Amino acid sequence: MKRSISGILALSLVLASAALAQAFTWPASWTRAKPGEAKRGGTYIEATISDFRTMNPFLTAEAGSIPDRMTLNGIGLVTRDPTTGKWIPYMATSWKVSKDQTEITFKIRRGMKWSDGQPITADDWIMTYRIHMDPKVGSNLRDSFFIGDKVVKVEKIDDYTLRFIYPKPDAEAFAIASFSPWPAHVFGPVYEKQGADGIKKMWGLNEDPAKIVTWGPFVVAAYRPGERVIFKRNPYFGEWNKDAAGNPLPYLDAYQVNIVKDTNAELAAFLTGEIDQMNPATVEQIAQIKKAINAGKLDATLKVNASPIASSQFVVFNWNKKSDPFKEKLFRSAKFRKAMSHLINRQAVVEVVYGGLGTPMYGSVYPVLTQWINKDAPKYPYDPEAAKKLLAELGFTKKDAEGYLADAQGRRLEFNLATNAGNKQREQIAKLFVDEAKKVGVKINFRPIDFNTLVGQLLSKGPDRPFDAIIIGLTGGGLDWPFGSNVVPCRGNLHMWNRAGTCLDPRETLMEYYYYKGRTTLDFEKRVQIGYKLQEVEGELLPIVYIAGPNYHTAWNNRIGGWHPDKIISSIWGSGELPLLFRAK
Amino acid sequence: MSAYLVRRLIHLIPTFLGATFLAFIVLQLAPGDFLTRWALDPKIRPETIALMRHNFGLDRPVLVQYLIWLKNLLHGDLGHSFMYQQPVLEVIWPRILNSLVLVGFSILFLYLIGIPIGVYQALRPYTPGDYAISFLAYFGIAIPNFFFMLILIYLLVQFKFAHGWTPFPIGGMTSQGFEHFPQWRQILDVLWHAVLPAFVVVTADMSSLTRVMRGLVMEVLGQDYIRTARAKGLPERVVLYKHALRNAIIPVIATIGGLLPTLISGAGLVEVVANWPGMTPLLLDAINQQDLYVNTGIIALSTFLLIVGNILGDLLLAVVDPRIRYG
Repeated sequence: MKRSISGILALSLVLASAALAQAFTWPASWTRAKPGEAKRGGTYIEATISDFRTMNPFLTAEAGSIPDRMTLNGIGLVTRDPTTGKWIPYMATSWKVSKDQTEITFKIRRGMKWSDGQPITADDWIMTYRIHMDPKVGSNLRDSFFIGDKVVKVEKIDDYTLRFIYPKPDAEAFAIASFSPWPAHVFGPVYEKQGADGIKKMWGLNEDPAKIVTWGPFVVAAYRPGERVIFKRNPYFGEWNKDAAGNPLPYLDAYQVNIVKDTNAELAAFLTGEIDQMNPATVEQIAQIKKAINAGKLDATLKVNASPIASSQFVVFNWNKKSDPFKEKLFRSAKFRKAMSHLINRQAVVEVVYGGLGTPMYGSVYPVLTQWINKDAPKYPYDPEAAKKLLAELGFTKKDAEGYLADAQGRRLEFNLATNAGNKQREQIAKLFVDEAKKVGVKINFRPIDFNTLVGQLLSKGPDRPFDAIIIGLTGGGLDWPFGSNVVPCRGNLHMWNRAGTCLDPRETLMEYYYYKGRTTLDFEKRVQIGYKLQEVEGELLPIVYIAGPNYHTAWNNRIGGWHPDKIISSIWGSGELPLLFRAK
Repeated sequence: MSAYLVRRLIHLIPTFLGATFLAFIVLQLAPGDFLTRWALDPKIRPETIALMRHNFGLDRPVLVQYLIWLKNLLHGDLGHSFMYQQPVLEVIWPRILNSLVLVGFSILFLYLIGIPIGVYQALRPYTPGDYAISFLAYFGIAIPNFFFMLILIYLLVQFKFAHGWTPFPIGGMTSQGFEHFPQWRQILDVLWHAVLPAFVVVTADMSSLTRVMRGLVMEVLGQDYIRTARAKGLPERVVLYKHALRNAIIPVIATIGGLLPTLISGAGLVEVVANWPGMTPLLLDAINQQDLYVNTGIIALSTFLLIVGNILGDLLLAVVDPRIRYG
């Protein structure tokens, strides 16, 4: 009798602690599943092209790493609502911004537990931050805690309160605060005793999975080098993550990622039903999936052209050519660059390079960031006549013996163009550009070179740099402030057109001014307006001639349900939320 | 004999040093390094890259880097992988084991089938059977391994569409749920996955082995001592196995030592196409990423095994060929 009473007591204590957990409700608007449709259990399988490198969150460098997958792509106190793009509290319950906007105080959600059952508290964030910040560890996240040269500080107020102190108000304040915590009770003792070297030895790929701890929905259960990683459900996650009906998440028992060597292997695996999801990248892949679905061989859903991808291809001209004043003057002329933009047939690029599944680009903001695009910013679309006119205004009116344009002194309009050898898309873009230029009398000597040599040329500094023009691309852009911190400012190392170390054109100075103004504005709407102005100046200056980028397509096997509704399927938000996926068949 | 062995082992040292140093230099001659591609990431500050370059020791002269590597090698340390942030040996060891399964399986296949086929051809030269096998052998040499594997995978996918199952797995090394299998089933599962890639590897090597075997046996069968043996009235079986084959197989045995490095260097692009987690995919990744010490580590290991393999080959030769003596 006595025993049963204590049993009841213990049980009620357990219930009380579970009830104490302040739950985060995953909104019904994030899934296409109808209420009550989701079933429990089963495995969801996807594929990745390259093998994993480590399970250590402080050493990982690639997107889609094991630590990323355990923590819903590295989120923490806050996450973004895919239906609005706005920051919402996640592992925090609320926040308060100080009057001068340099301090944000977060209240941490109570009742959260690590996958080993230990409570999650402010100490975990503090320890994670300390290890990321140690330069000897070499964490990839360290740079995200810098605004310019100044460091963002994180302070513990009490066990469930954290304060982030910024050197100045910052557009990316919430992005900086969103880093994923890792268990202080696992990493702390090692770090205190052995420092960075101890941390570096932890959680390699040969680590015993039983030692891996996370707050996320799934934790590593097994890893086979070059083959697959299997994650099993973290039972403590469901205590504070509920669906709209209050059921614990995730629905799935396991989540698996198969490692395939190339996209052909991935396609074969998807077509035969070995994996449940893939993002086809080429027209051929899309055609094969379509064919299999239409023939009734594959029960899958395919979403083509769901959105553009945050990735771009562009031409950059070198403003620092002291040894060749003729070219230097040419490349520094906005008129010349506008003429070149008029010579790029972006529609043809989309057709030829992306098989019709791409999006033309005219400015640095990726088309997928619709909120940020200033539709009134100047554009210079394909128009050879307009190009001819601009070149004539620059003095290129006559044609020489070989039919190329030349100025009054007989200097031919000719330059070299490079890209990295082996990148077929860039080589195709270059050839289209060369052909169009030739038609109006501009001679472009195209030569693909080794990638690292190309990067070396692009990043070289000083008044005389060793290239004329380069076709290259960048990927990834912030949703909070989509302009690159080392691209727009004149001293940035990716200020690729001009590495003299100072602004050379007043419009560069103005762009830099707007960059910092926006970067230090916390209010989203105000920031968007500053971004619009920046795009107008950028359009006038046209420092980089943007060309086009690919589109995002996604496909899933219908035995898995709970994917995003159509309107939030995009390259930014992906095709679904892992905790909301379920095995339908 | 032991004096010979010692001499060979001493020769090993300059060869090994020369080969690894050359590899080190050539790898570093390629423009840029592991950190170059990071430079185009807008989220990474140049200061960070400089710091990493220093931490990795990539800012020192090549000769100094080589000497440090050599010093660590004496302590059994092949260096640290930039990609994996782990000791190189820990990175490549599981891959070596995986490749070993595939390569070992195919070598076994090769000798068990290739030698009898070659002998069969030598005994019945210029018959339809000989021509048919020769045709297949040339086909095997002509078709690139990776392409052959791709065709097989394509056929499997079509088979799966038509029947809903496949006789062999479409790539990979283990099945879904492998972790929960009992051990005997795990072994069978891996072998089942290895059948097709091993078959592809074997087709290419089989052709040369059968051709060589056919030629050798035919040559030996034309020798005077074979005629003598037959004249003595020995049964054909004894003539063939005791006199002909034993002599014909000597050059084949000399090549066995050379197989040692291929055991760890993997089955080549077949591994990539068949999604076999062996050495080749890792090596390609490492070359692509300029993961210096993984590359050097693999080259050092292969060089070492090549030299040891050659010594073993020579010793084996002495065992099977009484005419050879080392002193």
